[in-house]
Amino acid sequence: MAEKRITVRATRYDPTKDSAPRLQSYDIPFSDESMVVLDALNYIKAHVDGSLSYRWSCRMGICGSCGMTVNGTPKLTCAAFLRDYWPGAVTVTPLNNFPIVRDLVVDIEDFMQKLKSIKPWIIRKQEMPLGAGEHRQTTDQIDDFRQFSQCINCMLCYAACPVYGLDDKFLGPAAIALSRRYNLDSRDQGIKERLPVLASSDGIWECSFVGECSVVCPKGVDPAKAIQQTKLDTTMRFVVPFGNRE
Amino acid sequence: MSSEAGASTATRTYRPKMAAGWWTKKRHYFLYMVREFTALPLALWLLWLLYEIYRAGRGPAHFYPPSSTAFVIFSVICLAFALYHSFTFLSLAGVILHFKVLDKPVPSRLIVMSQFGLWLVASIVIGAVLIGFGR
Repeated sequence: MAEKRITVRATRYDPTKDSAPRLQSYDIPFSDESMVVLDALNYIKAHVDGSLSYRWSCRMGICGSCGMTVNGTPKLTCAAFLRDYWPGAVTVTPLNNFPIVRDLVVDIEDFMQKLKSIKPWIIRKQEMPLGAGEHRQTTDQIDDFRQFSQCINCMLCYAACPVYGLDDKFLGPAAIALSRRYNLDSRDQGIKERLPVLASSDGIWECSFVGECSVVCPKGVDPAKAIQQTKLDTTMRFVVPFGNRE
Repeated sequence: MSSEAGASTATRTYRPKMAAGWWTKKRHYFLYMVREFTALPLALWLLWLLYEIYRAGRGPAHFYPPSSTAFVIFSVICLAFALYHSFTFLSLAGVILHFKVLDKPVPSRLIVMSQFGLWLVASIVIGAVLIGFGR
């Protein structure tokens, strides 16, 4: 019986030689039904072309480093099974909307700056000494923000967001979802420090609710929901007298 | 995506640019554009309505609402867009609205259903008022 094979097309771009990215085709064995796109890339790198560059780490949908565009859709390549594409070809390109550094590697500096700008950590008006004990939370209080805390910074949502694609000044889905995660945390008191960034012209109001960010999110964070709810909350803070101003 | 060469300060990078037809590549993007576009015919129809109100304010002699076939077709198209716009808006309300009753979050499905219920009641009331005044 003939060996089962699959065609993988991957973006190649060498900044020292190429003026633009191009696709290179690889015909590789599809030996195992559990093979994912990342396995295919690893096979190519190990057995066919060692110069192929891409990011990956955990192989289990936790680290968020192996996000790429698979047949036009942003996906974690460690969770994209080849069996879902076979016998068709799999085309792997870098995440949309980001500058390409080399092959499938994109420049994530813009996202890192945006993430930092919303201060994704617990802010206290006055820090308590460690000896004073922990900040207690009920399970209901954790449930308020749990969904938004699942973000793994994989940036698939940025790759799916046409608003970010058209204007990269937009703060973007993941950064806003994470700001909501901290604003909803009963231990946090930093909403006033985040509001200037969130409510700026490049913040929440730039989003026109395309919703694709939530469709591609591999962790069910629903960034579109976080953004729309933040719009509502900031508006209520503004229009309701003495309302929710903490 | 179409592409365009670019360069960063440290490493030379390639910056892709979105093609004008990006919204035709995926069904979700296309439906989003349709949803956004529905506001345009609605705005046109409302502008016409404002003009009719202005004319009606000048007395019965100046009020002669158009009844041509073309206008009826335009109004039906506007109605279809209005219904689609309302449907998408109310469906998304379940995502946006979030509140608790007795310390428990209200399910988004219940919020959406109540929105559609209110929409139905409002439509019946406004319809009744218009028909009542029409007689």
